[in-house]
Amino acid sequence: MTRAFVTGMRVQITQMLRSSFDLIAMLIWPIIYASIAYYLLDAKETPHELLAASIGSAVMIMWAQVVIGSSGTLDLMRQAGTLELMVAAPVPFVTVLAPIMVSTSAFGLYGLVVTLVWGRVGFGIPLAIVHPLAFAIAIPACVIAIAALGLIVASTFVLYRAAFSLGIAMQYPVWLASGLLVPLSALPGWLGPVSWFLAPTWGFRAIERAAVGGDAWPSIAVCALASVAYVSVAVVFLRVFEHLARQRASLKLA
Amino acid sequence: MAAIEVSELARTYRVGKKLRRDGAKRDVQALRGVSFDVPAGQLFGLLGPNGAGKTTTIKILTTLLLPTAGTARVLGLDPARQHRELRRRIGYVFGGDKGLYERISALENLRYFADVYRVPRELKARRIDELLEVVGLKGRERERVETYSRGMRQRLHIARGLLHDPEVLFLDEPTIGLDPVGARELRETVAALQASGKTILLTTHYMLEADELCERVAVINHGQIVAEGTPAELKRRATGKSVIEIEAFGVDELVVERLRALEGVDAVSVEHVDQAQLVAIQSQHGPALIPALLAALGPITVGRVVAREPSLEDAYVELVST
Repeated sequence: MTRAFVTGMRVQITQMLRSSFDLIAMLIWPIIYASIAYYLLDAKETPHELLAASIGSAVMIMWAQVVIGSSGTLDLMRQAGTLELMVAAPVPFVTVLAPIMVSTSAFGLYGLVVTLVWGRVGFGIPLAIVHPLAFAIAIPACVIAIAALGLIVASTFVLYRAAFSLGIAMQYPVWLASGLLVPLSALPGWLGPVSWFLAPTWGFRAIERAAVGGDAWPSIAVCALASVAYVSVAVVFLRVFEHLARQRASLKLA
Repeated sequence: MAAIEVSELARTYRVGKKLRRDGAKRDVQALRGVSFDVPAGQLFGLLGPNGAGKTTTIKILTTLLLPTAGTARVLGLDPARQHRELRRRIGYVFGGDKGLYERISALENLRYFADVYRVPRELKARRIDELLEVVGLKGRERERVETYSRGMRQRLHIARGLLHDPEVLFLDEPTIGLDPVGARELRETVAALQASGKTILLTTHYMLEADELCERVAVINHGQIVAEGTPAELKRRATGKSVIEIEAFGVDELVVERLRALEGVDAVSVEHVDQAQLVAIQSQHGPALIPALLAALGPITVGRVVAREPSLEDAYVELVST
C-alpha cells in the first residue's frame, strides 16, 4: 500500500506538471488571489494583517487545488477508463485517492510561497515569522488536514459523474464557512460551530498564529486529530460509495 | 471445478431523465438469466452484437457491477461479495484506446499498475521487462502513451492486465478498432496466453477472431444466451443452408426488409465494402432463390452474385437475427 501511495503521488505530480493548462493555472492563481486579498483588505498601515491575509489566500488556494484538482483528476480518470481499473485493483481505493489529494494539496505549498514572495515584492509586506518551528510544522499539518477533508469530498466524486462541477461548487462554501473570505465574526453565529469541523479553519489559524504571533500548537493538534478523523470517515464513505457505484453502474462515463 | 460459473445472471439498469417533471424512468434488462461455465485453462468466447450484454457480463464477473439476480463464481469466489480476494486473481482488459494514463510513459503506467495490483517488489522490474517483450513494446516503453497508436495502446493494455499474473483473464473486445495487422498480432498474443494455461473469457463480435481462438463460444443476444458450443458445432447449425452473397450499390433498410420477407429466406446481413454493400442471404433453397432475390432488389445496381457454404459468421447472423 505504501508503494502504491508513493507511486500514485509521483504519477499525479507528473501528470499535473505535464498539463500546460494545470501548470499555468497553478502559477497564476496564487498571484491573483494574493492581489485580491491585499486590495480588498486595504491595510497598508498594518503589515501583520496583510501577512495574515496572504496566508488566508494561500489556504484558499490549497482548498481550491484539492477540490478542483481532485475532482478534475477523477473526471479525467472516468473519461480515460482508468477509474474502473483502479476500483477493480486489489488495493483499497483510498490508496489510489489519497495520493491525488496529498499532491494537489501540496501544490498549495507553492501557493503559500508565491503569496508570501508576491506580498514582499509587490506590496512590501515583511516576511517576519514569529515562531519559525511552529510555522514549519503548521504548514504540513494544514496540507495533510486539507487533503484528508478533500478525501471525504472526493469519495462522493466516485459516485457522481459530474465530479468536476461538484468540485467547483465545493470551493466557496468551505472558504466562507472557514472564515477565509470574510471574518467569522461578520457571519451568522451558527456558522461558528460549522467552521470547527473544517480543516482550513484550523490550518489557517495554525499558520497565521505561527507567523504573526500567538499559540499555534492547539490548532496544529486539531489539524492532526481532524486528519485522522477525516481519513477514518473517508474510508467508510469510500466503501459505501464504491458499493453504490457498483450497484448503479456509475464508474464509467457512458 | 470450472474457473467461471454463471447461473441465471440478470442485470437491470434504471435509466431516465431525473429532471423530467414526470420523473419518467424505465428499466432496461441488460441480462435476462445468463448461464454458462468455463473450465480452467479454456479460451471461451462470448459473442453478440452491440448492446447484447457481453460487457455487462464481464463487468459483473470482474467485480465492477452487482447483478440484480442470479449467481456467479470465478475461481470459486463470488464477485459480488468476495471482490477483494477475487481482484488479486483476475485480470481485465478492454478494447479501444482508454484505460491508460496518457501523459506518462508506458513504463510509468506499468510501474504504477504493478504497485496497485500488488506485484511483489522483487518481481516488478523483471515482470514489466518480460511483458514489454511479450507485447512487442520493448524499446518504446519510455515514450508517453499519448503518442502511441491504437495498436500499441492495446498491447500495453494486455501487458497491464497480465502484470499480476492473473489466473483468469477477461478480454472485452480487445481488437476493436485495430488494423488487420495489429489485430492479428494481438490474436497471436492471446493464443500464446491460452497455451500457457490461462483461463480466458473473450468477448468479440468478430467471428473470424472467435473461430480462430476460441475452444467454445456462447452467443448472447438481448441479454440471453441463444446458443453455446464449439465453433464447429455452431457452424453445423447452419448446415443444409447456402449463403448467397450479392454485391449491390444503394441497399437501404427497406430493401433489406423486402429481402427478409421473401419466402425461403432465413437471415439477411449487410456489410459495407467501400461504395458497395455485400448482402448475405441464408436460405435452404440455395442458388434457386437468386432470381427472386434479384427481383426484390428492383432497380438497384448489382455486381457479383456468389453462392457458398455457411461460415461461423453466418451461423451467428442467423442466431442474432431471430
